[in-house]
Amino acid sequence: MKISPPQVWRNKRFMYKLTASKCESCGHVNFPYSSYCAKCGSKNVKKIEISGKGILESYTVSYQSRDGHEKGLPSVIGLVRLDEGVEIVAPIVDADLDKLKEGVKVEATLRRVYTDSYNGLIQYGIKFRVAEG
Amino acid sequence: MTEVYINSSSMIPIDRYYEYDIYDLVVEAYKNFEGEYDLNNVDLIIVANAYSQKLNNSSLIAPKIAEKIGKPNVPAIKVDNADASGGAALLAAYSMIKSGMVNSILIVGVEKQSDYPSKYLNDAIATNLDDYMYYNGISSHSIAALLMRQYMKKYNVDRNYFANWAIKMHKNAIENPFAYLRFQVDLNTVINSQIISDPIRLFDVGARADGAAILLLSSNKTESSVKINNIVSAQARYEFSPSLPSVKMLRNKLGMKFTEKTGIEIHDSYSIMAALMLEESGIFENGKSLYNLDSINVNLGGGLKARGHAGGATALYQLAEAYMQLIGSFKGKKANVDNYLVISSDDLGIVSYGISLSR
Ligand SMILES: [Zn+2]
Repeated sequence: MKISPPQVWRNKRFMYKLTASKCESCGHVNFPYSSYCAKCGSKNVKKIEISGKGILESYTVSYQSRDGHEKGLPSVIGLVRLDEGVEIVAPIVDADLDKLKEGVKVEATLRRVYTDSYNGLIQYGIKFRVAEG
Repeated sequence: MTEVYINSSSMIPIDRYYEYDIYDLVVEAYKNFEGEYDLNNVDLIIVANAYSQKLNNSSLIAPKIAEKIGKPNVPAIKVDNADASGGAALLAAYSMIKSGMVNSILIVGVEKQSDYPSKYLNDAIATNLDDYMYYNGISSHSIAALLMRQYMKKYNVDRNYFANWAIKMHKNAIENPFAYLRFQVDLNTVINSQIISDPIRLFDVGARADGAAILLLSSNKTESSVKINNIVSAQARYEFSPSLPSVKMLRNKLGMKFTEKTGIEIHDSYSIMAALMLEESGIFENGKSLYNLDSINVNLGGGLKARGHAGGATALYQLAEAYMQLIGSFKGKKANVDNYLVISSDDLGIVSYGISLSR
């Protein structure tokens, strides 16, 4: 995998912040942002920025990597319910595996995702960690 | 009204073919096919394949395949809906014959997945996920693991429950000469196998390898015809409740009745997918399907788990096995069935095709 600067720039809406859409017709929150509601098809949606705070509903510890993501193994992948009501699947970082529990509060944090050794670019992304306190 | 029949089928065993490229796989499957049926009147070739650009650096594979099998002038197109490509190809072929546009179509399913280590393959499969998940390094295995965990909590079942699927599929595969993993497994082997993404272990995952399978569809009825009664498609995202709304929609659209003479083929990309499909399609009550596997004729060739998972070609294997069961020529475990339900899906059940066949 090689990083494409235009892609990184374009993907900032979900790599560097959590831009979502909220449907004014049915209330469904879509992440990443979409001009049409993925639930009811309405285009009556408004752009919202998600706070990045939520609850860890469930998680899995993954031992098999994808090309370019070997370093993070084993990786924790969480099912996170954000305060805005949207459920997302996201990497959980800094977790003490022995203490990680379902139901804990989590928050978004910007981390390195992938380093392109071919042209020296680094790709960052929003992951989640257990919230303090 | 034009009817659509499957008139012949061919396949190669699913395996790691280091000596063959993607085209050689098709040629090998096609060789068994010649002589079986008149192939001079094929109007169109439809190729079902998902990952050739990423895994084989090859595009425009449909016309290339036409050339390789000696039909350079027969129009050829590729259909791609990831691991549901075979179902999508069948829908396209069925519709075109039904409309009267063409009379005879060769559907070729092919996938070459064993050329690289699994981390590359995982990356190709992860392109099925949303951009956020793809760019953050998440794999499809982890989504399936989350669905499995939600299921375990909701129905209060443990890991052993899911082992029932692998044990059954390996048992079926032993009798199938075209299966990839022809060996028996017991509970210990399954629950102590390598953890992929907890609670998913190696034996919970469909065994991906190389494969090619071919069907000939036509409006002409012959002595070895199987009729396609109906094919419906549905699309909806999996839910972590957990559920697969796309499969539930198939059940309503197809309105099929299950009897003891019904054979069933499902896309068991993961053991959790097998459970969800058997329940959402209405065959079993929620949370109980994998306790009841001996009461139905399901995935008699061993399923994706043990017959093997040929990616976008997998539905062609499912359909070919159902076809052979119905005409009585299947070389593996036989069942006394006169109708079949085949479910072709992508690995997380977002797009699903329900196909009803009968003799
Ligand atoms: Zn809506």
